[in-house]
Amino acid sequence: MIVPFSHVMILSGVVFVIGMFALLARRNLIMMLLGVEIMLNAAAIAFVGAALRWQDMEGHSIVLFIIAVAATEVSIGLAMIVRAHRRTGSVDPEIISLESKKEE
Amino acid sequence: MSLFSVIFYIFAAVIVISTAMAVTRKNLVHAVIYLIVSFFGSAGLFYLLGAPLLAALEIIIYAGAIMILFLFIVMMLKVEETGNRVFAAKQWIPAAVLSVVVFALMAYLSFAVPGGQTQMRAAVAEPAAFGTYLFQHHWLSIEIVSLLLLVAAIGALYLGRHREKGQPEGEREARP
Amino acid sequence: MMFDILAQNPNLAVILAATLLPLAAFVVVLLFTRSRPKLSAGLSIGAMGGSLLCALFLLIRHPSMDVPLQYAGRWLISGKINIPVGFLLDPVSILMLFIVAAISFLVQVYSLGYMAGDPGFSRYFAFLSLFGWAMESLAVSPNLLQLYIFWEIVGLSSYLLIGFWYQKFSASQAGKKAFVMTRLGDIGFFLGILLLLFHTGRLDIATLAAASTGMSPSMTTLAILLIFGGIIGKSAQFPLMTWLPDAMEGPTPVSALLHSATMVAAGVFLFVRIFPFFSTSQSAMTVCLAVGTVSMLLSATMAMVSRDIKQVWAFSSISQLGFMIMGLGAGSRFAGMFHLTTHAGFKALLFLCSGVFIHHFGTNDIETLGRSGCRRQVIPMVCLVIAAAALSGVPPFSGFFSKESILSALAGLENPFWLVAGFLGAFLTAYYAFRLVFLLLFPPGGMDSNHEPAHRNWAMAAPLLILAFVSVVLGFFGKDLMQFLGSSGAGGALHKEAHRAWLTVIALAMPASGIVLAWFEFGRKSSDRKGFVERIPSLADFFSQRWYLDKFYAALVRRVVDGGLSALCAGNDRKVIDESIDTFSRSVIGAGRRVSMWHVGRLQQKLFVMFAVVMALVIYFGFNFG
Repeated sequence: MIVPFSHVMILSGVVFVIGMFALLARRNLIMMLLGVEIMLNAAAIAFVGAALRWQDMEGHSIVLFIIAVAATEVSIGLAMIVRAHRRTGSVDPEIISLESKKEE
Repeated sequence: MSLFSVIFYIFAAVIVISTAMAVTRKNLVHAVIYLIVSFFGSAGLFYLLGAPLLAALEIIIYAGAIMILFLFIVMMLKVEETGNRVFAAKQWIPAAVLSVVVFALMAYLSFAVPGGQTQMRAAVAEPAAFGTYLFQHHWLSIEIVSLLLLVAAIGALYLGRHREKGQPEGEREARP
Repeated sequence: MMFDILAQNPNLAVILAATLLPLAAFVVVLLFTRSRPKLSAGLSIGAMGGSLLCALFLLIRHPSMDVPLQYAGRWLISGKINIPVGFLLDPVSILMLFIVAAISFLVQVYSLGYMAGDPGFSRYFAFLSLFGWAMESLAVSPNLLQLYIFWEIVGLSSYLLIGFWYQKFSASQAGKKAFVMTRLGDIGFFLGILLLLFHTGRLDIATLAAASTGMSPSMTTLAILLIFGGIIGKSAQFPLMTWLPDAMEGPTPVSALLHSATMVAAGVFLFVRIFPFFSTSQSAMTVCLAVGTVSMLLSATMAMVSRDIKQVWAFSSISQLGFMIMGLGAGSRFAGMFHLTTHAGFKALLFLCSGVFIHHFGTNDIETLGRSGCRRQVIPMVCLVIAAAALSGVPPFSGFFSKESILSALAGLENPFWLVAGFLGAFLTAYYAFRLVFLLLFPPGGMDSNHEPAHRNWAMAAPLLILAFVSVVLGFFGKDLMQFLGSSGAGGALHKEAHRAWLTVIALAMPASGIVLAWFEFGRKSSDRKGFVERIPSLADFFSQRWYLDKFYAALVRRVVDGGLSALCAGNDRKVIDESIDTFSRSVIGAGRRVSMWHVGRLQQKLFVMFAVVMALVIYFGFNFG
């Protein structure tokens, strides 16, 4: 007997919302990418909780894939941020989109 | 309240607080380090919830590889925050409202859905058993994910390479 | 089948050949032989010569013609409108065909000498061929619409030839002026055609008078006056006369052919052509008479003071055309056509003679020409005197007979004013013609001693001699011509000539007194070479400024067209059309920019919307609102 399943879900929801907030509110691509990581982590927490509740290892498998996808996403995302920073000298999404529009 | 419950709530608190701190930091290095703490909490939580292998992977990949990558990039780009405020009011107020709504919805669903109050029984998925399970049921997905990682590695190399001189975008490059 | 028809109708074959040969020459010269001037000229002259032979054939074959020959193919049939295309051969059109072909041929031969060495030699002959085709086709058109089409092509060739030396600014300006001013009249012409078409549905020249009986008298008068507008434009009558003197910017043979002998006569020809129709409205005829009189007197006064030899003849053309219209307006179709014929001969001769001088001495100024010694050039000078005598109406030259027939037509009118005006015109004509002659013969200040011997150019001299011969003898064929024309006789009030002895006497006295006055003022050794007009400076100024008509038009154009209409149109263009389109395009661009802001960047707004929508969907489905 640990905790009710809903508590795990609440925890997952809180982390997810924090990640979403970072994604929406921070004017910095790196922080936005961090927000995405946080949201993925929240999903992983939810899956692990669900796996425990239904006593099924399917959830664990999904978490493994989530971690792989997160690693992929971060490597590509950071490479793109580096590149955007090279072109525009900034990591502000607004400035980057304005600059890249100017270049068209 | 069992010991497991207490540990769960402690981990939960660590995760929530460190994540919140990470999100609100102005200094990106601080943010990343807070997030590493958060991932350590997650790893503990995974262990508690009976997934030791995932806990190890969380630490190795998330806290280890990903966050260190972030740290490298932050240091490499030498990003200086523009403006004094971390959040622009125009942006964070709607974001906050949406977050509250989302959270309320999730909480409602968590509690309202039948079976939400089910107490979870402690159990452990042994790494060996998990590995067997994984390669029995998901061997194809594992292969696909490995391919995905390969593609990501190539893509990152491609995106990150330096341009030759004389190419159109070359002038604006901020060489590190 | 085509050839069968032609074989059965030699007339049709001949008329087709007559009209199409110059067109073929035009096309071939312009397309293929432009770089070979000699060949181009040969082609053009050959085509025109063939055309002349065809016209001669028709003239001889039909010494009298009771029923006009008409060949028509179906062309434009729509409802009750029926306009055929084809040929109408009656004495008037055959005569006109012959005149055009003859003068064109002579002028083209003359041009061989006049235009020799010009860089645009081939182009010049191509344009002359174009003119020949259009003018001949105009002469034999069976209906007004076809006539109108060739009328406009003639106008086009006139424009091209006036502006032939387009590098000269004044020449291209003159071409433009001629084009625009004749268009002004042509608008009236076209409206008149439309009016007729609307009311009768047919435009056949032969039956026009009969077809128009259904129209109300006022409508008929309106249609006549509108068509007369076209005549005014083409024949340079008052008030659209100012383009003709400027048209002298073109090469002199062109002036001879187009702007005195044939093209400007097209207006008069049209009058002759639909004379029965015109004579159905007495008030319209009176207007024509008045316009002819005013133009005749006005331009005669202008000719009295001009120092430019071509300008004098240009004013004289206007004046003589006015004379023809007077004769026609007085009700004598024969007088008008007769004078047209003789005038074509002697006026072409006048221009060609002047052309020899201009070509040789390189100036248009009368006194300079006289001083340079143009009386040493015997052939042109003699021809010029003959032509001037014909123009003045000295017997036995052709002008005397035709002018007398016009005067006798005028004498038949109740109002003596027209006859007096006619006499005055005859007097003035003789005066200005011989003023010029005497100035050339006895130049003020004597002649320059140095002169190179005049080399005779037979290409230029031969047409002069032929035309001079024609001018001498043509008058005696008046009776034959009357018979020839009169035999067509279908409808139309025939001339009511009254042969009065006193008329002939005065008709002789008027040119004689004009010549005598000119002699006293310009010919005598002791004369001071000043005309009676020039003794009154204000009057001379008034005349040489062409009665201020040009200034008036310029002011009119500036005030009304530039200041009013075009400003209005430009304002409309700028403020309404441009502005509305600009506003529209600006708003499109603005909207696009705004939309593109959603499209490009704004990553976080998009994410926000995405999450919000997902939330809305969760709420929608999760709470079973569906």
